[in-house]
Amino acid sequence: MNEFLELCVGTITQGFIYALLSYGVYITYKILDFPDLTVDGSFPLGAAVTGVLLVKGVNPYLTLLAALAVGAMAGFMTGYIHVRLKVRDLLAGIITMTALFSINLQIAGSNLAVDRGIDTIFSVVPGMQDIPLLYRKFVVSLVLAVGMKFVLDWYMKTKNGLLLRAVGDNETLVTTLAKDKGTVKIIGLVIANALVALSGAVVCQEQRAFSSTMGTGQVVFGLATVIIGTTLFRKMSFFKATSAVLIGSILYKFCIQIAISLGLPANLLKLVTAVLFLIVLVLGNRQKGGADHA
Amino acid sequence: MKMKKLMVMAMTMVMAAALAGCGGTGNGDAAEGDSANKDIPVIGISQFAQHASLDNCRIGFLEGLEASGLKEGKDYIIDYQNAGFDPNVAQQIAQSFSAKNVSLMCGIATISATSCYAAAEDKDIPVIFNAITDPVEAKLDSGNVTGISDKLPIEEQLKLIRKIQPEAKSIGILYTTSEPNSVAAIREYEEKGPSYGFKVETIGVTQQSEVIQAAENLIAKKVDCFTNITDNTVVGVLPSILEKTNDAGIPVYGSEIEQVKLGCVASAGIEYVALGRKTGEMAAKILKGEAKASEMPYETVKDFETYINSEALAAMNIEVPADVAETAMDVAKEA
Repeated sequence: MNEFLELCVGTITQGFIYALLSYGVYITYKILDFPDLTVDGSFPLGAAVTGVLLVKGVNPYLTLLAALAVGAMAGFMTGYIHVRLKVRDLLAGIITMTALFSINLQIAGSNLAVDRGIDTIFSVVPGMQDIPLLYRKFVVSLVLAVGMKFVLDWYMKTKNGLLLRAVGDNETLVTTLAKDKGTVKIIGLVIANALVALSGAVVCQEQRAFSSTMGTGQVVFGLATVIIGTTLFRKMSFFKATSAVLIGSILYKFCIQIAISLGLPANLLKLVTAVLFLIVLVLGNRQKGGADHA
Repeated sequence: MKMKKLMVMAMTMVMAAALAGCGGTGNGDAAEGDSANKDIPVIGISQFAQHASLDNCRIGFLEGLEASGLKEGKDYIIDYQNAGFDPNVAQQIAQSFSAKNVSLMCGIATISATSCYAAAEDKDIPVIFNAITDPVEAKLDSGNVTGISDKLPIEEQLKLIRKIQPEAKSIGILYTTSEPNSVAAIREYEEKGPSYGFKVETIGVTQQSEVIQAAENLIAKKVDCFTNITDNTVVGVLPSILEKTNDAGIPVYGSEIEQVKLGCVASAGIEYVALGRKTGEMAAKILKGEAKASEMPYETVKDFETYINSEALAAMNIEVPADVAETAMDVAKEA
């Protein structure tokens, strides 16, 4: 049973870490209604910056702040290109993502390994040195994911956050409030990509490695988690969207873990993962259908 | 209210599926009666992608284990996983190996190997790597990890090209800018090419969809031949490259035997099955308790074979020099 527990703890940890990315995608895709492809670039960007700083001996917690900052810059790029230079949303993200691929290579090279001797946010946890690394990773990522959830929930209730939500729903309303909807969009992209880069930074610390291809497919992952989360918990009003997304991320990682653990031929992994997603979504829809008839 | 119940049911089903799935792993893949199999060490193999070279690493690894006198099912159980080019999946595979407390991990290709090593950190599970060009840069040169580097014999390859095409002036190479192995190989080609009288033309790509376009570009530059490096992205679409180069009448040299089998004219290269066999022997030593991964330095291939494909050479109207033909293995005849 011990290994089963470890497997679950490990998988939930992954879900927590990647939930930070899912929050970002949630903000752009669900709130702003902006299909933001910057993610595939800003995720490895956060990892690259963290990796380089860690190797240079910077405090691992400070590197997270650096990742947030560069992620914010990436989001600003996309926002600026879209809002001020009037490039279509999809294309603006593609442009930033493409540029970031080269920028990431410039920052960290194609691959970067962080030596075991270097401390990460997981290896230096005050008062937890006697607990196995697996559980330390669990606690740290739990604090990050849940903490960030509460920060976002709080932010969405502030005036600024309400404007953000308004832009996605009704742009004209924002204009009538004498606010620049473009600026609000940029702010949304900045926050979203800061979160995505933070996720990349945590992954880099957990993996002790950066690879320039680690961003590939992250948009798809983010969208899948947001859709899984929001579909499953659509009718539960007491359930905050951020919590739904968090659970969506964990479920996604569980789907992959189950696919790995089923012991089917390795080449079937993606197929099995796809089938599991479908099951989760169908179950989610069932629940919605049942509610409609009730 | 009904909705809530259904919701709970749905969640329970998902979790039950998760339980069933994860529970299955306790027994390992080959397990029937789990109590009997509890003591058999499990070897987790994490392979980064599906292509012939990496498959050969794995096949060789398994052969090496058998050659060392160990029997699958009796002395060890294999848990083989493939990340299908996805670094995030590689990470989860490694993490699941760690949770299952496998006795040894084998990482094939850099990303899989570094993921395994990271996941093994706390438990100090030995890791064996394969198909990594520069273990030092990947920080896999010390610690409870060892393996074999697949650094290409670039000088040998240049000599071979010179022998087969005495008149050639330029070599074209395609590579992925994000693969460190490739970038290192390109640097070496650019350094050593001129001393063998070659101008080296390179084009870097970022993803597989760009490779064919880049190949057309090199063909337009009228290079005298192409040579491959061990670049997963480029090698993955080798058949399409060969289609273009064959039309243009440009010979392509491979970096290992599988590429020559696919239609490259020749290669002074590595044979991944042999490489894999060495890693399998290393793994056997660790399982038998004869050595520790932390005490075994990683190895680099020293002996290279020359492979030729006489059919591909004939199609290019190239006659194989007698000394090459004598020592080389002709894959067209073997088949």
